[in-house]
Amino acid sequence: MIERILLLILFLVGFSGILIKKNIVKKIIGLNILNSAVVMFFIVEGRTVGERSPILDPGVSNVVDPVPQALMLTAIVIGVCITALALALAFRLYKAAGSFDIDTIKASLHD
Amino acid sequence: MKGDRLLRTLRILITMAAVAAVAAPVFLSRTPWPSTARDYLERAGVADSGAINLVSAIYLGYRAFDTLGETIVLLVAVSGTISILSRSGASLAPGFGSVAADNASFSLPQDKPTTHTLRTHLIEVVTGKLGPVVLLFGFYLMLYGHLSPGGGFQGGVVIASGIVFIAIGSRRDASTWLTKASALNKIESLGFLLLMSAALSGVFAGKGVLGNPLDGPLFGKAAFIIVLNIVIGLKVGSGIGFMCIAMLGRHRS
Repeated sequence: MIERILLLILFLVGFSGILIKKNIVKKIIGLNILNSAVVMFFIVEGRTVGERSPILDPGVSNVVDPVPQALMLTAIVIGVCITALALALAFRLYKAAGSFDIDTIKASLHD
Repeated sequence: MKGDRLLRTLRILITMAAVAAVAAPVFLSRTPWPSTARDYLERAGVADSGAINLVSAIYLGYRAFDTLGETIVLLVAVSGTISILSRSGASLAPGFGSVAADNASFSLPQDKPTTHTLRTHLIEVVTGKLGPVVLLFGFYLMLYGHLSPGGGFQGGVVIASGIVFIAIGSRRDASTWLTKASALNKIESLGFLLLMSAALSGVFAGKGVLGNPLDGPLFGKAAFIIVLNIVIGLKVGSGIGFMCIAMLGRHRS
């Protein structure tokens, strides 16, 4: 149970980073933390049905569920793609507005 | 002004409470995880795909379509990132995009001054020595993905870090083709072509798209998973390496 509570806290930390921080780069880092919390949550869920790693060497049984692990492999790659694109967009905003702060960017857009 | 701050704090608090109320039951639920998929895979996974690593068996066997789409997403992300960066005036490494002369970019100057903070002797020595070892480890992960933890994506990312290490650590006069834009570009295109050919090769063997054409007495069933792992590893490694080296803005003539 304790690991689930910690993962919930990690999820909320990532979300509050997206919500509260004014710096775009910090928002992207918050998105990454949220992504990691979800990935770890799936791994934790998948290991409730077994104990061994899902590599069926001779004599190995009672393995954890490999489906969430394969799913999270996809999620990690997509997370990398999202981070790269978001950072590129943040750089473009920085070039346009001269700042990473969303209030300054908003003000410079209204000019 | 003070009212604005209060309103913002209040809004944040309400939003966080709502998100917590939605996420808490999901994270803290005690519903038992269904073990049907695990039981089936444990019983039939090796016979179906030939890989004893069940994660590889899933993402290259049962759900290979998903992996195909994922590599396309990765390709789109790399090309989108490069095009956004080069259009917004970043001076990428030569050959990695249209280079615009700009002082305010994050990249290194063209001819590598030794005093640059990013490039100390320590980093040069460590990354230069470590690069080939990391590359070798990446190839190990890629080639043994059906037997041990690893696979195309993981090995590809480790290969990309090896390429970035070599790009950072190589001396000014040392030149390697591995960190050039044209070479990485060719490897990525070739990887995608090979992936498409491998996906379609099942059609000619009468097994359908992404069917296993190597399933016969000559090779084991795992041969197709090894081929897919190698192709995906090369593609992911060159794609992510391309993106990272482009952002380093390293001059390489």
